[in-house]
Amino acid sequence: MSATAQLSRVRKSILPQGGDTWETIAARELPGMAAADAVAALQSWNLHVFMRAAGGVGRLRSDNPILPSDVIFVEAPQA
Amino acid sequence: MYDLVIRNGRVVDGSGMPAFNADVAVKDGRIARIGRVDEPARRVIDASGKVVAPGFIDPHTHFDAQLLWDGYAKPALSHGVTTVVAGNCSLSLAPLKAEHRMKLVGMFNQIEEMPLKAFKEGVVWDWESFSEYLNRIRKGLAINVGQLVGHSVLRLWVMGEAAMERTATEQEIGAMQDLLRECLDAGAIGLSTSYVDMDETLKPVPSRYADAGEVDALASVLSEYGRVLQIVPEFYDPDLTIARLDQLAELSLKYAIPTTFSPLFVSADNVAAVERVMARVDEQFARGARVWPQVQTRPIDISFSFAVPSLLFIRLPGWYNVMRFGTPDEIIAAFSEPESRGKLVAEAMSQMDLWASLRLRHVAGDANRQYVGKTLAEIGQLRGVSPLEAMIDLSVEEKLDAHFLSESMGHNQDEHVGALLRHPRVHIGASDGGAHILSFSTYGDTGYLFGHFVRDEGLLTLEQAVKKVTSDTAAIWGIPDRGLLRPGLVADIVVFDPEQIDRGQEVYVQDVPGDGSRYVRDAHGVDTVIVAGGIAWSAADGYTDDARGAILPGELVAA
Repeated sequence: MSATAQLSRVRKSILPQGGDTWETIAARELPGMAAADAVAALQSWNLHVFMRAAGGVGRLRSDNPILPSDVIFVEAPQA
Repeated sequence: MYDLVIRNGRVVDGSGMPAFNADVAVKDGRIARIGRVDEPARRVIDASGKVVAPGFIDPHTHFDAQLLWDGYAKPALSHGVTTVVAGNCSLSLAPLKAEHRMKLVGMFNQIEEMPLKAFKEGVVWDWESFSEYLNRIRKGLAINVGQLVGHSVLRLWVMGEAAMERTATEQEIGAMQDLLRECLDAGAIGLSTSYVDMDETLKPVPSRYADAGEVDALASVLSEYGRVLQIVPEFYDPDLTIARLDQLAELSLKYAIPTTFSPLFVSADNVAAVERVMARVDEQFARGARVWPQVQTRPIDISFSFAVPSLLFIRLPGWYNVMRFGTPDEIIAAFSEPESRGKLVAEAMSQMDLWASLRLRHVAGDANRQYVGKTLAEIGQLRGVSPLEAMIDLSVEEKLDAHFLSESMGHNQDEHVGALLRHPRVHIGASDGGAHILSFSTYGDTGYLFGHFVRDEGLLTLEQAVKKVTSDTAAIWGIPDRGLLRPGLVADIVVFDPEQIDRGQEVYVQDVPGDGSRYVRDAHGVDTVIVAGGIAWSAADGYTDDARGAILPGELVAA
């Protein structure tokens, strides 16, 4: 397999762009979904980020818990 | 005349080739000859019945602080480890401006569970730059050190407090690149970063505020030197781990650098997940990327007392906040006052199986000594309370000096761990040596490899296991002249008894500056440890003052 060879499919994820929020990621990555549904879906697929704002250990800031280094999944876990 | 000859040993040279009988001669710090050696030597070691192998290399440690007061990294050296890589997980002690010292101490305390008092009483802060730090630890250095540069530390130097608030500007990224070059010029072995760790205030460490562009820019500097990038991924989740190893693979391919991530654990409940991770590793290697997962040999166990915050409680915020931020009196009060105690009990009730399985391993006074060695389930039954109540009561009665052990927390099924350890694309490491000193002993992992997985279980051959912790490690990390027994290479050598080697018993000792304690394991079955041709430790004489440790890679051996 060369460097350009196709890898097997894994769960799709992105790295945040500057200033990304749930809403901006939802608009960019899930354009076919209603905004509120898309945000809710993203949050449910990314509990490692979403739960930071829920008051547990590691709480960051309630308005936007997304760190610049986070992996954000843009689809549900594969069955 | 040779300086040293090791006679009659069974040579396992680190290449993976079959062992053979031969003598090994050393002169001027290097291996001079392997074969039959009749010439005289100033010193002779009889290795009859023993294995003669290259010194072991431990790629994941946190000896950064300990090396300031202990150039032997005790007891790692006595277990046959002749080289350690420090500065993992985005944390190194340099480069570090004076105003950031206590910030970094806080991070080491939180992440690596290293006592504040040891820093206060064991460290004379007389460096800022990376080269100044290396010069500082060079004095009396008996073990070789590959020193990583911590990404969080680079950010602190360049951005100050903003390192924990935002992404870096282009100018700041350029400054970090220049600083990293300066460190690599001084002898750094690579860069480490973390995607999971939190500081002492439970905020993400600085490296987690870096975007992908910043990491890419730093990887481009590593490319200029061919040095390693080490990361801590979100190892608790296989999808996240795969996403991170894909990120690493792209950097490895783009910049032709080796990368490694740690840790990777396998337990009964995540065998399929680890198989998925390893399948992805295999795919990425097939593309030409170098993405080495690090796997530790020892099973997971954790000891704790409530005198020190323990990561065992990280998922119980009420408990962790009390441990992290409370004084001893405040912790005892939280355990004693009905309202706060009730809240803590309620939060921990769902994990009663865990509390029941804990074993009391140490108490300060005599009153509860009868319970030492018993589980909390047994103690609770004897006292007529729940295991959780027993843990709280004992801690209060002992003024927090009651120590508990959680055994068999995973990574303990030999068939799964053994398969992972012998996988050709698994890097044996992740000991965490020098860290978590009151949670578990991070020493003796190589003894466990040779005693348990090679001798007792037969899951790796002796030659495979030696190669894994010597020449493979040297090749992955770009450490020249070590990791093999070959004429002309540096004489880092360990002589051990393959029938006796083991990790030794875990013991509680008080040898940390500031009257601190830690768990260690004394070497068992190791005969002699040689660094650059000098005997640094032997079972007969203990540690010697022949300190020939070097900063690796690249520093020439002082003959």
